[in-house]
Amino acid sequence: MSFELLFSVSIAAGFVGAMSGMGGGVVLIPVLTLLGMDIKHAIAISIVSVIATSSGSASAYVRDHITNLKVGMFLEMFTIVGALVGAAITVVSAQGPLFLIFGFVLLGALAALFLQRHTGWTPVENQDKFSKWLQLEGKYYDQATGQTIEYRGVRAYFGGPLMFGAGLIAGLLGIGAGALKVLIHDLVMRLPPKVSTTTSNLIIGVTALAGASVYLAAGLINPGLAAPVILGVLIGAFIATRLLVRLTNQKVRQFFLVVLAILGVEMILRGIGVIS
Amino acid sequence: MIALEGTTARHEPPKGKRTGFDMEGLVGYILLIGVLLSMVLIAIGVVYYWLTTGRLGIVYSISGMNLFGFVLAEIRQMIAGAFRPRLFVNLGIVVLMLTPYIRVFASMLYFAFVEHNLKYTLFTAFVFSVLSYSLFLR
Repeated sequence: MSFELLFSVSIAAGFVGAMSGMGGGVVLIPVLTLLGMDIKHAIAISIVSVIATSSGSASAYVRDHITNLKVGMFLEMFTIVGALVGAAITVVSAQGPLFLIFGFVLLGALAALFLQRHTGWTPVENQDKFSKWLQLEGKYYDQATGQTIEYRGVRAYFGGPLMFGAGLIAGLLGIGAGALKVLIHDLVMRLPPKVSTTTSNLIIGVTALAGASVYLAAGLINPGLAAPVILGVLIGAFIATRLLVRLTNQKVRQFFLVVLAILGVEMILRGIGVIS
Repeated sequence: MIALEGTTARHEPPKGKRTGFDMEGLVGYILLIGVLLSMVLIAIGVVYYWLTTGRLGIVYSISGMNLFGFVLAEIRQMIAGAFRPRLFVNLGIVVLMLTPYIRVFASMLYFAFVEHNLKYTLFTAFVFSVLSYSLFLR
């Protein structure tokens, strides 16, 4: 696979990933495997690029004081262990199941994206004891409304173990699994949307690192192939975030979501051996 | 009602001291500098290879090793003056992987020495230890 091809495919993946809000890995891995790359190598390279995109975007959000560092630290305890387990499974797994799981997770993440769009956020009055003990609360300044939003996180006893699952999927498939993390933040822990997306971004970087360490040890990370992918995905994501500010066309976004759905179905078909 | 952007979103822990230390700012800059440095190093490696060979794709792989072994190997090459393109690419990947790791380490010091928050110091220490262990995996 030539550098030029990898580089351009990665720019496109980073772009579509950021435009659709799904992250680069979810696009990158199906495309790399379509181009003939072994799925384990694609997963290993993708997870390194996930460190780059998540750290890059987290850096901006953290400085805006929207990310909740405590929520992040608490949940990272679960996601990194999950990522280590997930990556270890991938290293020993056969290719077929990986395609299958990837396809289902991709379609599930798309469904989650539609679900969360309809839930409005309201602050919780009563915080459970455990979440209170964990000091899961905060406030941030919302530039859109000009208000300071105060919030409390709840049900950390559910959120933590569920985040182990999100970490497992991230490590297993080499993706950020941001949609899943945001869903847990929103629905289980009742964090405001801005806090949940930005905090999930922070968690993704550390989780991806845990997974990447396993792939590095297994010799699956090929720096020669990783170089164009890391550069490309980051450039693609950067272009998309610049464009997103000006471009609010829902049609464009929907188009990319359809593309992702097709990729998901394609992965499932490859997983069960209908196409190879 | 005026919302102050400058005040940190962090709430006061029971025994915490107001120091005015901007942890979010520090974390943000660690991440930003890490990612940028990594990109620059990888780009230098790629361009260097292209200038010397006329080709873009560096093709090589590394045998399985842990991150710290990888770092040591790269430092040895630097000392030996072997500034080959792949050294820059490898350094870029090393810097990228160390970025979240350093971020966690900084958070640990912050919870321990600035916020004096034992609970979160232990949580962060757990994350840091697991990451350190996994980065030593072989």
